Amino acid sequence: MELEKIRSARVRGIMLLFICLLGIALIINISWGSIKIDVQEIIAVLKGQSENVVHNSVIWKIRLPRTLAALLGGAALAVAGLLLQVFFRNPIVEPFVLGISSGATLMVGLVILAGFSFGMESISPYLIIVSALAGAILVMCIVLLLSLKVRSIVTLLVIGLMVGYSCSAVTSILTALADRDRVHGFVIWSMGSFSNYTWDQVAIVAAVIIPFLAATFLICKPLNAFLMGEEYAKSMGVNIKLFRFVVVALASVLAAIVTAFTGPVSFIGMAIPHICRILFQTADNRILIPGTILGGAVITSLCDLAARMLISPIELPISAITSIFGAPIIVFMLLKRRTDMQ
Amino acid sequence: MMLQTRDLAVGYGKKTVVDHINLDVLKGQMICLLGPNGSGKSTILKSLCGFLAPLRGTVYLTKKNLSHIKTSALAKKMAVVLTERFSPGLMTGFGVVSLGRHPHTGFLGKLTDKDVNKTLDALRLVNAEDLADKLFAEMSDGQKQKIMLARALAQEPELIVLDEPTTHLDIRHQVEVMGILNKMTKEKGITVILSLHEIDLAMRSCEIAVLIKDNRILAYGPPEEVIDDSTIAELFELNTAHYSNLLGSVEFCSNSTNHGICVIGGGGTATHIYRLLSKQGFGVSTGVIHENDIDYHVASATGALISREKPFEKISSEAYSQTKKYVEKAGFVIDSGFPVGSLNKQNFALLLHALKQGKTLFTLRKQKEWCSQLYEYRQKINTEKIVFCENSRDLVAKVAHELHNSKGRREPW
Repeated sequence: MELEKIRSARVRGIMLLFICLLGIALIINISWGSIKIDVQEIIAVLKGQSENVVHNSVIWKIRLPRTLAALLGGAALAVAGLLLQVFFRNPIVEPFVLGISSGATLMVGLVILAGFSFGMESISPYLIIVSALAGAILVMCIVLLLSLKVRSIVTLLVIGLMVGYSCSAVTSILTALADRDRVHGFVIWSMGSFSNYTWDQVAIVAAVIIPFLAATFLICKPLNAFLMGEEYAKSMGVNIKLFRFVVVALASVLAAIVTAFTGPVSFIGMAIPHICRILFQTADNRILIPGTILGGAVITSLCDLAARMLISPIELPISAITSIFGAPIIVFMLLKRRTDMQ
Repeated sequence: MMLQTRDLAVGYGKKTVVDHINLDVLKGQMICLLGPNGSGKSTILKSLCGFLAPLRGTVYLTKKNLSHIKTSALAKKMAVVLTERFSPGLMTGFGVVSLGRHPHTGFLGKLTDKDVNKTLDALRLVNAEDLADKLFAEMSDGQKQKIMLARALAQEPELIVLDEPTTHLDIRHQVEVMGILNKMTKEKGITVILSLHEIDLAMRSCEIAVLIKDNRILAYGPPEEVIDDSTIAELFELNTAHYSNLLGSVEFCSNSTNHGICVIGGGGTATHIYRLLSKQGFGVSTGVIHENDIDYHVASATGALISREKPFEKISSEAYSQTKKYVEKAGFVIDSGFPVGSLNKQNFALLLHALKQGKTLFTLRKQKEWCSQLYEYRQKINTEKIVFCENSRDLVAKVAHELHNSKGRREPW
């Protein structure tokens, strides 16, 4: 019990820290860039009191939507990762383990590489978004249907992996056969980026992600029961079939919406839950869910900042930054931890 | 009536594992499923918990059909402890036990003061208050099992189903776990259904034993009635060991048909000698042993050739002469140092007979005692062949030495 009390103090401290970091990340994401804008000017622009046309358009048209997208996207991916890690009781699971990003990539590949423009004149950004979403949702539906059929969760995991491999196989065939110019565009898309978000897109993403994040809070209790495995969860009154469906649906929708607008962003979904578990020293999902939302938002937005700042004006792929900086941190933390976690 | 099954068949898909299960479990009873690995104990338990749908027949929990009870309602009636091992990263003992409050907490699972108290009560009942702050992952198997029991208790069930709760535990924790379960049935009126491997634990702690083998219930009833030497042998297909109900344990029998060592014992002095010799694979003959002697039960369980006498009778001439033959056939004779009394005086005479025959006699009896006994017999005896042994370890060493000396012949007798 003593330990529980110390823990809750620690949890409150870290949450507070995360919230402060979130504010700082928001400010420096808007402030830093090829044009540096100081805080007073940002406030003035946001209040609509600034006369500076460049500052106004940089903040309103570029940096603010991009920052918000990174915050939302990071939170969504991190929570999706947490849900699936608990669900599969496997620490190396990430949101895309069920083939979501492979499905999206395949559909985008069909559009960019094979030139299926579905009757449209040119390849518009919206066509790419719609096709990525379609691919992600298609795979999600397959996995959801199977989640109701299969007896073992591990089987579901293997099915997800196999769907992913099949999609990747078709994508690689398309890549091999496609023109060089098209391949470049496709590869850039498949590395993911938070640039080019418009306010409309941010609004769509927010309209999906915010209610779904709220919904994950509602399943934190059965999720905790699931820490002991499916049979124990059932014996404690969890409706397993419903719970399976809800977890897979929540995680898939969160991952799918981010992938559709941003492209596949790796690492965040796997790493943030780990970082939170180690920081908060707990497996309690009532703490980890808000923790991963904040952590995912902060770290993703900082990574996005690094992606566009490090060798500006050239922008690096966000997945590269998340992996290069994240992987050593994870390894370091794992080596320092006291006990084995799941 | 807590739980009933009527013509229940359990299994997976089309494969029936156990058929025709009819159980009647009363409130506060402790029921134990016994059977070899793979006999279907776990399958039955899973069906009783509702993890597996019955292939045929029905499970009734407090007279209601189990499959009609909602999972959330069932969770308040029944808790389970499974064999499946899990590692809930970074959870303390308290954290794991408090998960048991799941069916009683609100929508977000926040623990109220009542829930915290119930959790602490559960920890207290399994004597694990000291484990509350310890990380589950850092606990020993025994400690983990106590925490799992406490978690089941925190669920405040009327029935607890446990799948092999004593497996992987040392003897102290086995006893402790069974003690806790017993306390739960007696003090809280909780019904316990469990599967076990340990026959002795089942004998001593359960009210009803269910023996399962070859897709059916072999026997069902109080363990005192259904468990005996032959049912256990049948149940587990024991060939190289023998279960003795009286001893409550398994003795390994030597399959040697050559009974080349003759042990003269009695009064419980020879039990460890029988075990030692059968462990080494020696065939043993022994006499004259009274049927009410613990030596008799161990000797017969280890597969020794026994010349026996009825309880509390003086050794008859028939038994005496039979043992005499054993002595004469044996390569050497071992004296367990049995106490010599009026009923078994003849056994000492057998030792003297062995010496007269020129047999080597290993003895655990003190030299002084030999002197006084020989004095009593007033016989002139060649004592050169007597090998005095300090203790059983010494005995083993000297017997091994003797066997080594007679090398060249694989079997010296």
